[in-house]
Amino acid sequence: MDAFETIIYEKSGGIASITLNRPRALNAVNIKMRDELYEVLPAIDDDPEVLVCIIGGAGERGFSAGADITEFGTVPSQTIGRSVRWERDLWGQFLGVSKPLIAAIHGFALGAGVEMSMCCDFRIASDDARFGLPEVGIGMVPTAGGSQTMPRLAPLGMSAAPVIIGEIIDAAEALRIGLVQRVVPRDDLMPTAEDVARKLMSRGQTALRYAKEAIRRGLDLPLQQGLEMESRLFAAVLATDDAREGIRAYSRG
Amino acid sequence: MAYESLTYEKREQTVWLTLNRPLAGNSINLKLANELKDACREVNEDGEVRVVALTGAGDSFCAGADLSELATFTANELLKTNPASVASKAVASVNCPVVAAVNGDALGAGLELALACDIRVAAKNARLGFPETAYGLIPGGGGTQRLPRLVGRGKATEMILLAEPVDAAEAYRVGLVNKVVTQRKLVEEVGAIVEILASRAPVAVRYAKEAVNKGMDMTLEQGLRLEADLSFLLQSTDDRAEGIRAFLEKRKGRFKGE
Repeated sequence: MDAFETIIYEKSGGIASITLNRPRALNAVNIKMRDELYEVLPAIDDDPEVLVCIIGGAGERGFSAGADITEFGTVPSQTIGRSVRWERDLWGQFLGVSKPLIAAIHGFALGAGVEMSMCCDFRIASDDARFGLPEVGIGMVPTAGGSQTMPRLAPLGMSAAPVIIGEIIDAAEALRIGLVQRVVPRDDLMPTAEDVARKLMSRGQTALRYAKEAIRRGLDLPLQQGLEMESRLFAAVLATDDAREGIRAYSRG
Repeated sequence: MAYESLTYEKREQTVWLTLNRPLAGNSINLKLANELKDACREVNEDGEVRVVALTGAGDSFCAGADLSELATFTANELLKTNPASVASKAVASVNCPVVAAVNGDALGAGLELALACDIRVAAKNARLGFPETAYGLIPGGGGTQRLPRLVGRGKATEMILLAEPVDAAEAYRVGLVNKVVTQRKLVEEVGAIVEILASRAPVAVRYAKEAVNKGMDMTLEQGLRLEADLSFLLQSTDDRAEGIRAFLEKRKGRFKGE
């Protein structure tokens, strides 16, 4: 793959890693980064060597400060801006990746930064992480899906407040409300993410894809339809070689 | 009705259902699933039953599906008679509240059974989880649907994709179980909860269950309409008049379910 300017893409032993790489701008998502992520995500899905992907931020200060505010107001018109948003639907593409995505978050994760992580399956944070959707403070609403993805991540009573208030919360509070699944010391962040990645690699890969699909699509369906979808996926996965082998292994104890 | 893989014990207005294959960790095969279906139908047809407690014999609540039997089903058979799905559907079809007394491990189809209940009380030593992806499978009895609705996509994704169980304390922290007690105290604690539920006006309790469960599948506006309709229907019951009398006379209501 061609070298990127704003991200670093590497893969090793089944694990792909994307590093948001604009450390001087706290890895803010500018148009260039959006385009590069838009190019790399389908490649992750298409590449049979990649089983799982870790996303992190370069530099000491944090994961990502969100949308690059210096590019605000550069769009020729609101109507063009709106159509470009859907022509290059980066967040839809994030949510559509069929392989597990792990966000490894240190320092600041704000706005589109935390929203990017909420499109992932795992959010592992270092204990110095700070999360926030500051949009309402500047007269906006989250625009990378946060108002929709956050309430689905955790029960509404726990998760609504940060979106509405726009306050910054620390790693412990993020763990309490279910925004992140693990909090570890900074030095353990990448090793923990890699540990989760390796565990995922040892699971049935079709099973992981189907489970991810069942959870994600199921939340958009009435329960009855969700149960029917799950039954179909379950019957399909049971016919795979992985499942036959898994059951044999289980029976042998 | 005579059951072999479970016990059906009616104590006044409560039915205690105990999965009874302790040597197999109470794992769910088609026979157990079908018996659960019959038992839940019996509950629904018995006008006296106001609440059900579901638990497992021995040290496990339910260790999961019987995988060796599962491997013998064709894909078409599975769509109709996947034991995990038959079992959890049966429990979810009970009209009155069902309280899971999770006395030990609730894994795979076992956790799905607990998720189909309305209230979950777990023993301290219980582990809850979905090990399926470690065997190349996914949960097939509602786990991928009910867990995210209960605890959100974040924790549900972690539990289902990673296939690592959580202990009772973690299950309590994330809202997967309502209460954690020692294994010794479990029956007593669940007994207290079912006693309270049995003392409430039965139709109101059923309607409340219906409003919460059906409402989650609706838009808020539709859900509010359902709630108002059920509330108006209740105004026609004798129990509601008794409830108001009891409140005014500062005593507990004596409800008949009419």
